Amino acid sequence: MRLRDVVAGANASMYYRTDFRRIKAVYYPQTERDAVEAIAKAREMGYDVTPKGAGSGLSGACTGGNRDRVIITTLRMNRVLSISPDHTYADVQPGATPDEINAVLAPSTMRFHVTPSSRDVATVGGMLSTDSGGNDAWLHGTMRDNTLRAKILTYDGKQIEVGREGVRCEDTSLEDDLNRKALTLNDIADAHGLLGFVTELRLALKPIGDETVMAGLVECTDISELGSVVQDIISAKIPVTYGETVIYAHPDIRGSLNPPLLVLEFPEAHLRDLQSITRLRMLTREELAELKDIRLKLAKRTPKRGLQISLFEDYGFYGHNLSRLQERVERIDSYLREHSFEPLAKYGHAPTKWYMGDNTQANGIIMHSNEIKQPRQSSSDVFETAMGLVRLCEELGVTPKPEHKWIYSDYAKLARIRELREVIGGGFNSFILDPDCGAVLSTMIQ
Amino acid sequence: MLTTTKRAQKKRSEMTFEKCVRCGSCMKICPIFDAMGEEQYSPRGKLYLLQVMDKVESDPELAKEFRRLLFQCAMCGRCTDVCSSDVDLLRIWHEQRARAIKDAPQEFAYLGALEKSLENVKNIYGLSPEDRAVYWLDELEQEIPNLRKRVFPEAKTADVVVFLGCLMSFRASQVDVLRALFKSLEILKVDYLVLGAEEFCCGHPLDLMGDEAGAKKLRTHNKRVIKQTGAKQLITCCPGCLSQLQNNYNFTGIEVLHHTQFFDRLLQSIEPYKQTEEFTYHDPCELHRICNVKTEPRSLLKKMGVQFRELELSCCGGGGLLRMTDPNLSDKIQQLRAAREKLSSTTVITACPACREQLLGNNLKTKDIIELLVTCLSEAKG
Ligand SMILES: Cc1cc2nc3c(=O)[nH]c(=O)nc-3n(C[C@H](O)[C@H](O)[C@H](O)COP(=O)(O)OP(=O)(O)OC[C@H]3O[C@@H](n4cnc5c(N)ncnc54)[C@H](O)[C@@H]3O)c2cc1C
Ligand code: SF4
Ligand code: SF4
Repeated sequence: MRLRDVVAGANASMYYRTDFRRIKAVYYPQTERDAVEAIAKAREMGYDVTPKGAGSGLSGACTGGNRDRVIITTLRMNRVLSISPDHTYADVQPGATPDEINAVLAPSTMRFHVTPSSRDVATVGGMLSTDSGGNDAWLHGTMRDNTLRAKILTYDGKQIEVGREGVRCEDTSLEDDLNRKALTLNDIADAHGLLGFVTELRLALKPIGDETVMAGLVECTDISELGSVVQDIISAKIPVTYGETVIYAHPDIRGSLNPPLLVLEFPEAHLRDLQSITRLRMLTREELAELKDIRLKLAKRTPKRGLQISLFEDYGFYGHNLSRLQERVERIDSYLREHSFEPLAKYGHAPTKWYMGDNTQANGIIMHSNEIKQPRQSSSDVFETAMGLVRLCEELGVTPKPEHKWIYSDYAKLARIRELREVIGGGFNSFILDPDCGAVLSTMIQ
Repeated sequence: MLTTTKRAQKKRSEMTFEKCVRCGSCMKICPIFDAMGEEQYSPRGKLYLLQVMDKVESDPELAKEFRRLLFQCAMCGRCTDVCSSDVDLLRIWHEQRARAIKDAPQEFAYLGALEKSLENVKNIYGLSPEDRAVYWLDELEQEIPNLRKRVFPEAKTADVVVFLGCLMSFRASQVDVLRALFKSLEILKVDYLVLGAEEFCCGHPLDLMGDEAGAKKLRTHNKRVIKQTGAKQLITCCPGCLSQLQNNYNFTGIEVLHHTQFFDRLLQSIEPYKQTEEFTYHDPCELHRICNVKTEPRSLLKKMGVQFRELELSCCGGGGLLRMTDPNLSDKIQQLRAAREKLSSTTVITACPACREQLLGNNLKTKDIIELLVTCLSEAKG
């Protein structure tokens, strides 16, 4: 046992106190060949494989639970392999981050348009596996919308290529079987690594818009007004290029913010449409940059006393829940307070879009939430509260329940993954499918 | 009464590493992670290990490995800069280093020699304290005739005290910078003196080892001598010394400045520099991040009309005692940068003797800003 094994448990979720003695090996492949070899070693030893990107995911899936396992991290597989001659797509290794990809693209006018707040570290392999989205998802979609194909290694070392329409594989019988099951990128998106190890992605590139954009701040009197504004923008199909909301910020971290508020960047041609929906205070370029920075950092801000914790990511409000946003958020907050968690921040992408476990699309607000945890709160208090939130969301119709970062309770997705693993095989992140997954996770909370 | 566990828990919760939300933003910007590529070398990795230390420290081998990891850090402060979660990483590294040396002094015998040298002869090289004003004085005396009279205690008082620091006092590779500094001060008729043998190490290396008591002894002496000179300003070319003098000396009535600050204030306009080579500018970490001196070096270059390419705000690999604790890693950091930022075809302008050593050691061309300035001032003087 070396520290390189112990440290493989480092991740942004509240599930980080892993039983590292059960991490049997850690690999940092640099090429697909290295990854094939690492998986072969795991197979020879009979261990499950846990793919890990940057560990910025909030579900705890990249820890591998507490099975005997091998962790394969993609931190050293971060090269942009090639850019198509017409600059419409790039082939990249799974450990590349959006920032790294866009730095390579900087001399051109093309960009990769998935911008989660964690874009400085989140890897595209991890992002596809959680169907990540960012402040421009409303316009450009989530990771699945921006991925043209993914190369994936199965536990028995086969390479499959999954596209939007289906699968290609040298093993034609596997190819036929998977195509019969209609495996597409929609299944890999959000699969939390359960369907194999992503070794390469072909990502769609789009031009930086050349229209003049403007920025405005919507300051709302209450949270429901904010929900209604977002609803109206969605109905009017206004192509907002950047949309972020701050619903609540604790005094410790609020600074000059005055939530609830919405920061929007949009084409000049749509100014009137927006003004017909809401009052906009126009923002200068500097003011916008400052607000963007504040918002970006909000996810990481910590309270003066107690520790920041993210009980789960995220709350998806869409449809009628948008106009009842105030009541919904109040229910969530009073539940949190009943369990002695003080809300720290609520913020997120809006308007935005995402996909449910059955691949239907939802439009609305994805609200990230952080709470303050006091030292007296035990790991089981924390876990029970998180589970209670899952149930509450189900009751309130806040979906996806609770969205794409929490595969453990998305039953449609889980059923589909089980079905596909019968053909493709298992061997990756199997703990998620174990009946005691929750119990295991609860032991990993501080 | 608090039980031992509760007390331990309370103490732990007060430590700022507990605030780390493990977001990973400090990972890719860390030069050590960049060079090594594995997570245990990254700031997040190390903080994570602290967060699960109760599980780690029961294994003596892991605890030993962790102590070594703490010294595989250039103390460049980039992680502290990027963190939005109020984690004071640099402070944590200082505290943990001190703890590591206290817990297992036998593992740090190689640092013991440095500590001894600082205790006995007050410099990092183990040379006689008298030699502080010998090498460079021998070299420069002919060119700057009054220089000997500028050395304390022969010079008793002055408006400005120059604090050279160990590197600049003893290393031949620094003489060109000293020449430029003294000549500039002479041309501008500044009333200055140099502390000479009465200057002790500023305490920075001991601070980096977490030896607060040792650093304090050196500070007390330096403070007393500096006070005697009656100076109103203290200038140094070394950002490491500057960080100590500014942050740990608590001077009253004496302004502590980096040489770039001093000259930038003094000179409204400067004769243009006759540039014949391609320049890049490297921000010394301790100057830029720890002492927050960002604009003055650029302002001076602008006043001289120097064209240069900005480099990434990354470390040269020479800080945090890394040259002693892991010289190969220190070189690797510089080599990676040199290749990535195409440094071999340029002259790297900087303003730090330690960065200079690191660049020269890797066969790169470098100049201190003061070397450019002195040519402009000499030109103007005719
Ligand atoms: C401060 C902060 C802000 C965030 N903001 C956003 C946001 O705006 N939008 C958003 O969508 N998310 C956000 N997230 C969540 C997180 O960044 C995303 O879920 C991201 O996609 C995870 O990427 P990763 O590389 O860190 O993956 P990891 O956390 O390492 O892994 C996530 C999952 O993917 C699997 N996986 C990783 N790599 C591979 C691979 N090569 N092959 C197969 N499976 C793999 C893992 O096993 C795991 O199940 C945020 C997180 C933080 C800490
Ligand atoms: S940036 Fe700060 S919060 Fe994020 S991992 Fe580093 S130290 Fe922790
Ligand atoms: S101080 Fe610099 S070298 Fe040390 S951990 Fe932070 S970024 Fe890395």
